[in-house]
Amino acid sequence: MLENYLPILIFLVLGLGLGIVMFVLGYFLGPNRPDSEKASPYECGFEAFEDAHMKFDVRYYLIAIMFIIFDLEIAFLFPWAVALDGIGMAGFWAMMIFLGELVVGYIYCWRKGALEWE
Amino acid sequence: MIEQIVFYCFAAMLIFSAGMVVSMRNPVVSVLFLVLSFFSCAAIWLLLQAEFLAIVLILVYVGAVMVLFLFVVMMLDINMTVLREGFVKFLPVGIGVAVLMLISMGLIVGSSQFDIAAVASVAQHDPGYSNTKELGLALYTNYLYPFEIAGIILLVAIIAAISLTMRKPRTHKTPKPEKQVSVKRKDRVRLVKMKAEKE
Amino acid sequence: MIEIVYELIRNGLLQPLVSMLVPAAIEVQALYMLEILVKILAILIPVLFVVAYITYVERKVIGFIQGRIGPNRVGVFGLSVWGLGQPIADALKVIFKEIIIPSGSNKFLFIIAPVLSFAPSLAAWAVIPFSDTLVLADINAGLLYILALTSLAVYGVIIAGWASNSKYAFLGAMRSAAQIVSYEIAMGFALAGVLIAAGSLNLGDIVMAQDGSIIHWFWLPLFPLYVVYFISGVAETNRAPFDVAEGESEIVAGFHVEYSGMAFSIFFMAEYANMIMIAVLTSLLFCGGWLSPFQGIPVLGEPSIIWLLMKISFFLFLFLWFRATFPRYRYDQIMRLGWKVFIPITMVWVVVVAVLVVAQVGPWFN
Repeated sequence: MLENYLPILIFLVLGLGLGIVMFVLGYFLGPNRPDSEKASPYECGFEAFEDAHMKFDVRYYLIAIMFIIFDLEIAFLFPWAVALDGIGMAGFWAMMIFLGELVVGYIYCWRKGALEWE
Repeated sequence: MIEQIVFYCFAAMLIFSAGMVVSMRNPVVSVLFLVLSFFSCAAIWLLLQAEFLAIVLILVYVGAVMVLFLFVVMMLDINMTVLREGFVKFLPVGIGVAVLMLISMGLIVGSSQFDIAAVASVAQHDPGYSNTKELGLALYTNYLYPFEIAGIILLVAIIAAISLTMRKPRTHKTPKPEKQVSVKRKDRVRLVKMKAEKE
Repeated sequence: MIEIVYELIRNGLLQPLVSMLVPAAIEVQALYMLEILVKILAILIPVLFVVAYITYVERKVIGFIQGRIGPNRVGVFGLSVWGLGQPIADALKVIFKEIIIPSGSNKFLFIIAPVLSFAPSLAAWAVIPFSDTLVLADINAGLLYILALTSLAVYGVIIAGWASNSKYAFLGAMRSAAQIVSYEIAMGFALAGVLIAAGSLNLGDIVMAQDGSIIHWFWLPLFPLYVVYFISGVAETNRAPFDVAEGESEIVAGFHVEYSGMAFSIFFMAEYANMIMIAVLTSLLFCGGWLSPFQGIPVLGEPSIIWLLMKISFFLFLFLWFRATFPRYRYDQIMRLGWKVFIPITMVWVVVVAVLVVAQVGPWFN
């Protein structure tokens, strides 16, 4: 099994390396003449006057939390799908109950308006 | 041989990045180092033949949990100078806790627990072996009850997250996309036949 | 055919090279590593070539759809062959452009963000099978690996947006990140459906599970998942009509507004590599990969990499066609489509597929 992961590791390192090499190439082959106007952040018609890192709507956090939960559910689905022929009807119904719980949560989300974007 | 080199590389990377997580000034960089330490951890799990768990670690922790972390540290605007204010005052307490931790860790590591001979070596499997399938066969038969409890916990997590974030009643008026996309031409436009008028 | 060429390279070039340069004790390992490297290059170079030329094809196709002729000036060796030299000229131009690092930015994160979005988009190619024998890393958890790597795409976007310290970049990054994670759920459920149908995480096994003819491919029993997967793929790669992240009419260019020169084009290449990836995965998972649609007929029914390439080209064309045809979605509509339409569809269909598999409904699951 491990010998199959060695190419992946090398591939990943090569991908990182290629990205860095391209950046370095661009950095050294291109001109480098920054001035204060050029290096200031983009703004439309006036000087950029405050820090761009601002507080965000709580909705974004909610999206991220919901994403974690659903992602976990998907992670549970994967071994179940692979083992479906070996776990019998009991295993099948176990996942149906699990998905039922998820659907209850999903309906709750919907009713509460958590899925609406304002 | 390659296996051992890979192991030591990732173990060193894990310790290094874990150290950087607590020592970096910028919390966003800290989170990135946490991601790196999850990666090295996944690689070590892979060396232990835990294929499914290693990839799920990346999928769930790096792909989802760390994204939430990034959202939080990027937007909560943590003031680092305030956080550092009480450093000298709390130093004795911190050192005390650290020493206690060191002693308890030493008790475990010092005993025969971590001797290589005490740990079973990694089982070798034939190429067709699927770690995921074995896990599924065990999880959905022998461990049914904990699995269902995990489902309930996730349900509670959904409800908790929503009740914590959606406390205010909705006051904004928003367009309803489902109504907008179902609009037909005849609801909006009416063509009226008129006779041409002369100037 | 490819195997014979590979044997020739291996025995004629790599073997003598290794035995000449490396001490005999580690010759076997060295040859093994070198072989892996050659195989990786055999995947990487065509992928990068396609990435370069898909930009040209995109401009040509959209040009023709809009009644123009697209790029036609830059030739090769002085011959103006329908502007075929355009991508090379673009690449050269972009290398010699200045990379501006904004004054208020976090330099380290600003530089590392494009690399972080580029590396996963390439690494996903490691497990893609091109025929039943032609695969670099034949891992048993192939589909899971793909899903894990797609979930990393969001990092480059968020970090680029935050490190630029520009309002437009930050807004674009947040929008884009929320969009990517939303569509990833629908995508994950669609992949789970494929998995239930195939009963294996190995991508080669998934293709072989569709053996038969065009009606045995998974697009038919998994039709809703197939549609949802492809549309989610378009949304996931931030392509039109889901490209609000870079909606140039409202937030200039979104998360990469501060990037210029090569730094910008690394993002660009990552986007196109991801786009090709989605096309490849859709053809492997739902359209029988390298299997022929006319199975059973001699010659025409033979499985071959040519079928795979034809399927990939078709889905890539769909990407371009979408861009030329549909107006951009509004952001609340995008979120609604992901959360309120796609997730229920996929959840229901995952259950339907499970029932079909357990009940062994033919002709797919018996």
